[in-house]
Amino acid sequence: MRALDRALAAAIGAASVLVLPVSMLLFLQWPLREIVHGYSRDANDLAQILFAMYVAVAVTAATRDGSHLAADAFARRYRPETRRRLRRAACALVLVPLCVLVIAAGAPAAWMSLMQLERFPETLNAGYFLVRAAALLLALLVLAQALVDLFAPRDAHDP
Amino acid sequence: METAGLWMLAAVACAMLLTGLPSWIVLCAVALAFAAGGSAFGLFTPAILAALYPRLVGLLENDLLQALPLYVLMGVLLNRLPLADILFRVARHALAPTRRATPLAGLALGALLAPMSGSVGASVAMLSRTVHPRMAAAGYPEDRNVALVCMASTLGVVVPPSLVLILLGDAMMRAHTEAANVAGLAGRIINTQDVFHAALAPAALLLALCVAVIAWQGAHEESSQGAPARREMLTAFAAASLIVALLAGVALGHLYAVEAAATGGMALVGYAIATRGLDRVALGAVLRETIAITGSLFSLLVAATLFTLVQRAFDTDRWLAQSLAHLPGGPFASLAIVLAGVAACALVLDAFEMIFVVVPLVAPALIARVADAPWVAVLLLLILQTSFLVPPFGYAVMMARGRIASAPGTRELARALTPYVAAQAAVVALVIAFPGMLWRESSPGKAPAAQQSEEAARKLLEEQLDAAPAQ
Repeated sequence: MRALDRALAAAIGAASVLVLPVSMLLFLQWPLREIVHGYSRDANDLAQILFAMYVAVAVTAATRDGSHLAADAFARRYRPETRRRLRRAACALVLVPLCVLVIAAGAPAAWMSLMQLERFPETLNAGYFLVRAAALLLALLVLAQALVDLFAPRDAHDP
Repeated sequence: METAGLWMLAAVACAMLLTGLPSWIVLCAVALAFAAGGSAFGLFTPAILAALYPRLVGLLENDLLQALPLYVLMGVLLNRLPLADILFRVARHALAPTRRATPLAGLALGALLAPMSGSVGASVAMLSRTVHPRMAAAGYPEDRNVALVCMASTLGVVVPPSLVLILLGDAMMRAHTEAANVAGLAGRIINTQDVFHAALAPAALLLALCVAVIAWQGAHEESSQGAPARREMLTAFAAASLIVALLAGVALGHLYAVEAAATGGMALVGYAIATRGLDRVALGAVLRETIAITGSLFSLLVAATLFTLVQRAFDTDRWLAQSLAHLPGGPFASLAIVLAGVAACALVLDAFEMIFVVVPLVAPALIARVADAPWVAVLLLLILQTSFLVPPFGYAVMMARGRIASAPGTRELARALTPYVAAQAAVVALVIAFPGMLWRESSPGKAPAAQQSEEAARKLLEEQLDAAPAQ
């Protein structure tokens, strides 16, 4: 579990820089469209792939950072042990089954897309299969984090 | 069992408050529990949950949602760079002759930056750090000080092109499409640009009324702070010009909102590099904070996708549309009931939760009844903003009280907020009374769909509902 925890931290660190190329590509769309008169949609497709990967990792980053929105006006009075139990119950009863469901439902479609190297439907640019894969990646990372929180919880994960 | 979707909302509110768990987990938990119940009673098959994966892919390929991390990046950078402080100092210097310089500069900063900083929470953080200490140092009473921070923080809800407006625009486009299919509405489906345009006049009116409130509260002697340095003046002028140019570019349709957000983000990164405002360590912290906040917002979207999927499996949306169609009192009664429900939900839920969970449920039914979609969108925005300001549970109020240790009690704060809430109520009343005050596209093809007669709308809706296949 410690190795999984470190791997998740490394994945988040690597993915966090993706917001800069996403910003740059989307910023370039306007001059590419209005001045160069080309490549604007290609920039958008590339940004779409990076955006999909970025947010796939971001959900787990929010969990590890404790950034998720929560209304704990009452729950903040609970004992820390009670809150820990609630979190672990949520991992076991909500996040794990949800992620298993998404992975089971999406894996065949994502695999087929990968085998066909599916392209973006409008521009026919390569890489659309990565967007489909990102949805699976999102579920896999949330599942991994839920398992870490269940079996090797850290205080930093407090919501 | 069609009302199960409403019970789901009630269960979410209770579970959120009682467990203190992250909202997205609560939304998923309630959705899964109700899905299990619905399957157990044979109302639908568990296979409907398989639709979650393609819906997730739909979120990841949504062009509009690309703006989300960009707005978050701008908000995080604004909180760490001295730009907001410089803008505030220069605005206060420029407004000094009014003898209300500090609150007016705070309001101006809120109006200028709140649309860029993404969320009410981010704006509260920025204004609590920038405006509140200076208002306190200038001797303004604490209740007026905190009230102004709350009010200015919510301006991003109505001043385009904020993230809230972008997401609501997308939600309204889906709602309008759904309503057009169900109720057979004529006319063009609205888009995000229409919502931006429609929000401009009410936002300007609200700003003017807030200025009037500050003027009415009386002059205040402030000690001279000295003129800002020439470099600060130039920085403020350049930043304000860029922001206004971006807002105008989006409002006039020359720029997509996503491009404007990307331009703003790149400009801030460029400013940070040019002024050496961020070293390697600080940049790492900015990137970590950006991905975490983005994740917190996107997880809400994921949860709302599952939540609305289960609500629809229960046919709650059709039941709501039918109930509103048969409501006595005409479209205005439907409007009043929906707006009251939205206001009540907004006391507990954040703007994003409202847009992702509540709006998709109520907006199609309301638009089927009141065909003027931009008008409905603006009223929803104004009601949301007002709800954020109502103590003790208003979202901006709770955030400000969490951020500002010296914040006054509920009664004092409520009293200080009253003029601002009254200003918002006046704008809501004016928008309801004069729908024509909204800026709309003028070409006939782009005109909003005409409001149907009550009888015709109900007949069409019933025909469509009867003809629709059961799920």
